[in-house]
Amino acid sequence: MQRIVVPGEKLEDKPLRIDEAFIDNGKTYSTIMSMYDDEKKVLIPLEGLWYPRSGDSVVGVVQEDKFNVLIIDLDSPYRGLIFAKDTNEDLVSGDIIEATVKELDKTKTVILGRPRKLAGGKILYVKPSKVGRILGKGNSMIKQLSADTQTYVVVGMNGLVWMKGGKIDLCTEAIVMIQQEAHTSGLTDRVKNLLEMGK
Amino acid sequence: MKTTITGEYIKEMLSKGLREDGRKFFDYRPISITKGNLPQAEGSAEVNIGNTKVIAGVKVSVGSPMPDKPDEGNLITGAELLPLASEEFDIGPPSPEAIELARVVDRGIRAAGVIDLKKLFIEEEKVWDTFVDIYVLNYDGNLFDASTLAATTALLSARMPRYENEEVIREGNLGKLPTANIVTSSTFATMANKLILDPSGNEELFMDARITIATDESNVRAMQKGLSGGFTANEVEQLIDLAIEKSKNLRQEIKKTIGE
Amino acid sequence: MAKSEKPELMVNGKRLDGRMSGDLRHVRIESGVLKNAAGSAYVEWGNNKILAAVYGPREALPKHTSDPEKAVIKCRYQMAPFSSLEEHGRTGPNRRAIEISKVTKEVFENVIIRENFPGSEISIFVEVLQSDGGTRAAGITAAAVALAGSGIPMTDIPYAVSIGKIGEHIVIDLNKIEDNYSDADVPIAISPRQDKILLLQMDGNMSKEEVSKALSMAKESGKIITKLQTDALKAPYLKISEKYKNGAPSMPQQPQEQQPQQPK
Repeated sequence: MQRIVVPGEKLEDKPLRIDEAFIDNGKTYSTIMSMYDDEKKVLIPLEGLWYPRSGDSVVGVVQEDKFNVLIIDLDSPYRGLIFAKDTNEDLVSGDIIEATVKELDKTKTVILGRPRKLAGGKILYVKPSKVGRILGKGNSMIKQLSADTQTYVVVGMNGLVWMKGGKIDLCTEAIVMIQQEAHTSGLTDRVKNLLEMGK
Repeated sequence: MKTTITGEYIKEMLSKGLREDGRKFFDYRPISITKGNLPQAEGSAEVNIGNTKVIAGVKVSVGSPMPDKPDEGNLITGAELLPLASEEFDIGPPSPEAIELARVVDRGIRAAGVIDLKKLFIEEEKVWDTFVDIYVLNYDGNLFDASTLAATTALLSARMPRYENEEVIREGNLGKLPTANIVTSSTFATMANKLILDPSGNEELFMDARITIATDESNVRAMQKGLSGGFTANEVEQLIDLAIEKSKNLRQEIKKTIGE
Repeated sequence: MAKSEKPELMVNGKRLDGRMSGDLRHVRIESGVLKNAAGSAYVEWGNNKILAAVYGPREALPKHTSDPEKAVIKCRYQMAPFSSLEEHGRTGPNRRAIEISKVTKEVFENVIIRENFPGSEISIFVEVLQSDGGTRAAGITAAAVALAGSGIPMTDIPYAVSIGKIGEHIVIDLNKIEDNYSDADVPIAISPRQDKILLLQMDGNMSKEEVSKALSMAKESGKIITKLQTDALKAPYLKISEKYKNGAPSMPQQPQEQQPQQPK
């Protein structure tokens, strides 16, 4: 069974190691708004923030271009850094980029590598907690979306989605729908219907 | 959830005759007006234009007349861009943007004679002060039109306190604040050489210039051009016609709300 | 205006507005009312009307306010100039508002898992649109919902309520008139899971027994207030779930069944 839980709500009467949960006095509690699956013992976040991990793919905006380093706005408490030696792209303030998290330094600055400029298009902000659902199992959802709308889509784990070309409005509508209804059953079929009707 | 679109994208769409939210160039977003949300204030109104949300509160107190107008009451208009309304709004003394907003709304109301200030005289050296405060709760562009709608509706639906035996009576059987006109405004922006009505938050990020035209039924009552870009005289004339045209529906919305 | 006459605040165990000593005013909470904020809540508590919103975690600015170990919490409580039934209020922060902002901030420093966000700040804004006594308690209750709804991890959702003393009676949730003439006022915020008091202020005249009565009344009211908070947080999700209760709805065949376009 799945149920909605709020921060501080008890999940288990015994101590269990669960992501986004904490243990106090031998009992396990949630720290965020989530769906709790008490069979699989996992929290599926409804609201939550992005915690950078090495290897995460992100989308960001160049905030400052200094002589040997670029500062990237990732719409998160962590600022991204790209060292000039790590890129051949000619990036200036305001450019949108896709990049990969290389490492986190002690001050929780995110060192990014392999930046790629994303020219034109638009950005949609989504909740980082919903990125998994937008991508789908093995990226199945986003591949379907992209194929059906002919829109080029790049989804960052930090909650920024870049889109360009094709039926961009339909693509946006589908992503907004996935974000709003991520916790419901039968979502994949409803997205399919939406895309069918929009064709 | 916030949506951001790059300037290039907005301009590219405009050149094809499109806007990010599917509107026509001279369409407003959906507008809703409610009054009396804050019954402890003499008057109040909440206005939503798309995702822009403002509330206006009216308080009426005893004050002193201005030396040059000893027989008239006062209108004092304020506006706050609350930090809860946008990532971009900061805590601190009123920003130039907030002061401009308050002054433009004030000019429209004053020039159109929305309040009959002569009727706010109490006795020698005593008049009623009417305070209109605009609170911006969520920012998504076009604060001018939303604020003017909220302020006008709050004034038109406001109670009038009584002054008896050196005391202000604010409850019970009270009349209405004396009003004499309705003012609304229409704000236009220019970008990529196109003119649009009711710029959204994203559009305001990339507009070259902005013009607010406050009108009553037939005439222009206040104007304010903003930002570094410009308008031709022809454009201004065209926009005045449009503003007067658009004011019909806005006035209708206000009348519907106050029950006339 | 003339306020010299002290009204009879309790007659035959009933208060001016008809409540008994242990009755809260009517409380309504709505979560997620503002689009731009990370989290927000609107609370109507009797005649109080309060908006709370949360931004962040974001980079702490100015830089010297940041803490390399954990997020800093910033809070501003403010009363609108049109919030009261009486005179137009003065705008800008006053000493009272600054103190309330500080003690509110301290409540949330206890429950937010700040270590997750070193160097960042979390801003809490409480705007009192209409006031009728007990605004700091209602503001804390609202801010707690705004925070939980923003996805910022917390160990609990605190709530607050004010307890007062009228004559020999200990009563809950003073309104403005009661507050003006009461013999004591005790705003209290509680973390229900930890069973800990996170805010406690008092002025007036009370015995130790009366304080202890006040504390237990505040605890008791948590059963109601906490439920209102959690229901408000869950409501937007339950509404969507309800729509698709019986699994996937069948595919609409007619174009007119298409849902209206969501505003983007």
